[in-house]
Amino acid sequence: MGVDDRRKFLAYCLGGIAAVAAAGIIYPLFRYLSPLSSQLESSKVTIPEGAVREGEANFFQYAGSAAVLVHHPGGALVALSAVCTHMGCIVQWQKDRQEFFCPCHGGRYTSDGAVISGPPPRPLPKLPFAVANGIITVG
Amino acid sequence: MILSPGKRTLEKLILTCTFLFMTACPVVAADTAGNVCVQCHGTLPGRLGEPVAQWRGSIHAANGIFCNGCHGGDPNDSANAMSPARGFLGVPKENAIPAFCGRCHVGVLQSYQASAHATAQGKEKPHCVTCHSNHHVVKASLDLINEKSCGRCHSYDVARQIKEAMAGVETRIGMTEQRIATFKGKGTDTSRLEQRLFAGRNRFHSLAHVVDVNLITKNTAEINAELDAIDGALEDFSKLEGKKKIIGAAAIVIVLAAAALLAMYRRTYD
Repeated sequence: MGVDDRRKFLAYCLGGIAAVAAAGIIYPLFRYLSPLSSQLESSKVTIPEGAVREGEANFFQYAGSAAVLVHHPGGALVALSAVCTHMGCIVQWQKDRQEFFCPCHGGRYTSDGAVISGPPPRPLPKLPFAVANGIITVG
Repeated sequence: MILSPGKRTLEKLILTCTFLFMTACPVVAADTAGNVCVQCHGTLPGRLGEPVAQWRGSIHAANGIFCNGCHGGDPNDSANAMSPARGFLGVPKENAIPAFCGRCHVGVLQSYQASAHATAQGKEKPHCVTCHSNHHVVKASLDLINEKSCGRCHSYDVARQIKEAMAGVETRIGMTEQRIATFKGKGTDTSRLEQRLFAGRNRFHSLAHVVDVNLITKNTAEINAELDAIDGALEDFSKLEGKKKIIGAAAIVIVLAAAALLAMYRRTYD
């Protein structure tokens, strides 16, 4: 094998390695930046509109965590994470007060998830949802 | 004053070390310095000072819950620290202790109120302090249920049954906690799993305050299911860790191969 052929072969090899290295950098970036469509699709939860009566809350599992759908007396709906922002306990619905209450350290939230009192540092995160043909789709 | 280059380097080193030490210092130590309750009572002898020393070794201190967290008052103003106008409550009466602690530990209070301890007839009902002590409150564990402690008021039979019913789950919780701590030590974000474990443990421990063996057994399956889910997430971390090791090893091999090929390529020009 002549020097030129050898050089060409080595250049191809180096080019291949550079391509692998570039892919190793670009692929994680691409995965990080691209939307998690399949994951989000599989975590969608559907609830019949009639299942949550006015003034009541319906708890369910969403993306591996507890979530809750509240039907306000006026008719408005809101979907929230049911995980207390203090230490991660699952909040309870108090129908008579129309509030959420954390049994671990007494945190209180409004039916919209805003903090009323206690140690929670943040409101309960809101979850996206849509209503179509009498079906509420969370996620 | 003009410093020599050597002294300047030493000065920079000292400043860097001081900065690193200060940023690594526990938050509790810094907060204690500005707390007038701790400053004043910490220097007092006897019953007025003892609570501070006991509190320093408590789970409350570890979690940044200071005197005013329970007793109220203003920890930033020595003149009004114990003013009722600033919410100072002082020491609760014996029969008010469950409600006093229950302001934060609401789930535990609910369970306790349904228990034989709370509904016991007679003057001296056991309450939070009877088992957990007051200022030196440590992280709740099954060690609190023992013949010496329970035997002060009644036979140990039922308490032993409760301890045995809780033992399996409690051991699993401890093991899961250790596994989470290991991953956390390696830099993995375990905050969500820590929260889930805390919530599960809290629910289980709260129920234990009903002191009902059947209720504990009934809820064991539920908490085990939650622990299974956490273990599953930890398994995913293990798999990811294995993948990272393989990718790391492959990256090293590729870099070495590239270096060798580059050296050979360079030689073709000699």
